[in-house]
Amino acid sequence: MVMVLAAAEYKLRYADSVLGYAWSIGKPLAFFSVLYVVFGRALAFGAEVGQYPLYLLLGIVLFTYFSDATNTAMESLVVRAALLRRLAFPRLVIPIAITVTVFITFFVNLIAVAVFIIGNRITPQIEWLALIPLFVELYLLAFGVSLIVSTVYVYLRDISQIWDVLLQMLFYSAPILYPLQLLPSWAQRAVFANPLTQIMQDARALVLGSDEAPTIGIVFGHWSVRLIPITAVLLVASLGIFLFRRRQFEFAERV
Amino acid sequence: MVSLGLEEKPAVECVGLTKLFSIPHNARHALRDYFTHPLSRASHEVNKALIDVNVAISPGEFFGIIGPNGTGKSTLLKIIAGIYRQTSGIVRVNGKLSPFIELGVGFNLELNARDNVRINGTLLGLSLREIGERFHDIIAFAELERFVDQKLKNYSMGMQLRLAYSIAIRAPYEILLLDEAFAVGDENFQQKCRETFVRMRSEGKTVIIVSHDLEWIGEYCDRALLLRDGLAQRVGPAKEVVGLYLEQEEAAASD
Repeated sequence: MVMVLAAAEYKLRYADSVLGYAWSIGKPLAFFSVLYVVFGRALAFGAEVGQYPLYLLLGIVLFTYFSDATNTAMESLVVRAALLRRLAFPRLVIPIAITVTVFITFFVNLIAVAVFIIGNRITPQIEWLALIPLFVELYLLAFGVSLIVSTVYVYLRDISQIWDVLLQMLFYSAPILYPLQLLPSWAQRAVFANPLTQIMQDARALVLGSDEAPTIGIVFGHWSVRLIPITAVLLVASLGIFLFRRRQFEFAERV
Repeated sequence: MVSLGLEEKPAVECVGLTKLFSIPHNARHALRDYFTHPLSRASHEVNKALIDVNVAISPGEFFGIIGPNGTGKSTLLKIIAGIYRQTSGIVRVNGKLSPFIELGVGFNLELNARDNVRINGTLLGLSLREIGERFHDIIAFAELERFVDQKLKNYSMGMQLRLAYSIAIRAPYEILLLDEAFAVGDENFQQKCRETFVRMRSEGKTVIIVSHDLEWIGEYCDRALLLRDGLAQRVGPAKEVVGLYLEQEEAAASD
């Protein structure tokens, strides 16, 4: 059921647009180009990181998944009011289908990353398999937050404005466009309060090396500090599931 | 309690079923309302949609639910289906219950019949394999062979309903819930629908139907329930209950 709905959702996203699926890869690339020109060239952030374009692109692709998934999921229940009022089915199917659909787009975007990797003559390493648990962590974070914002949206539409602001904060408080090394040491620690930072830096360290992207373990001096954001992600996911399941019986009446 | 002897357990049994909707006078979807009126809990109006409804429907029975608009007919159906949760009382179901109460749930006008059969069929509980096996039957019954690859938005209302009906009768239920589902298509298609109802009866399926089509209820249903202002006014042989309802309406009209 999830897969059928996700496939339909994916088809619908780009139905009637001339370039179709190309948009899913085009949008982050366009975003990337602007940021690269401004921050990579004009402001020379690249000086700190040998492979700034790849550094930047990885950050954007990871963040885009998070923001796309949560934004699309937020309205997903309200948009499907007709379905909720006419059919008894596990309500969790909806946010799962949405976050999975956006995850497909995320993988398409990784193709762009792969092109950059080939262009930079980086040889894939066996350690890159560690990217998989990082992607799972990213998914769980996006899924948990999606459950929370979609449930809240049923009762309070303001959450969409609030979430806009929060997403902006999350974007700038993670080292997406600036290299972490550029920050004073207290700030290097502070940005890890954003769980996306740990995921992003770990992923970059695997591909680019930890000299270019210091991980949470390096910044705090012990690898195990990584467990804090991972626990936070699991807590967010559990909280999301708890909240959603508690409220799901009201959705049909409230949307 | 009177012994039912060898009779089977009811297919659907409602005991003391009550459903209250609390309707805020001004739905508070915006945060502003919480600030501008911090002290007043939003004023609520309690709408008693169903009050202590008791009814038992036997396996293989065709059961009609009638009554004026806004008297809880659809609410009752939704609670039986599990779409709404009752405020108090018990619903017992023996047998596989159709999860939908209207035809064409999940239909998307931007997708073609092929995709819509897949989505709608999945939502109704068919596996992709079953849908594949039955696809030709579904399209042939709906008489839409020539339009399979057209988007649903190019279909007439009648064509959409025929497709929806054709999928619904192939869903794997023992107890079917329908809200105003018939009067589908032209005379030829109506005839086919009548035949499927005859077949359902011979297969021993239980059908619970909400309708304003009193003639249909009187003709096809074994028993009926008359709901008025959330109260079960009468349960009995369909013709009798329809007769009572017509009398009441006439009396009301002549006042």
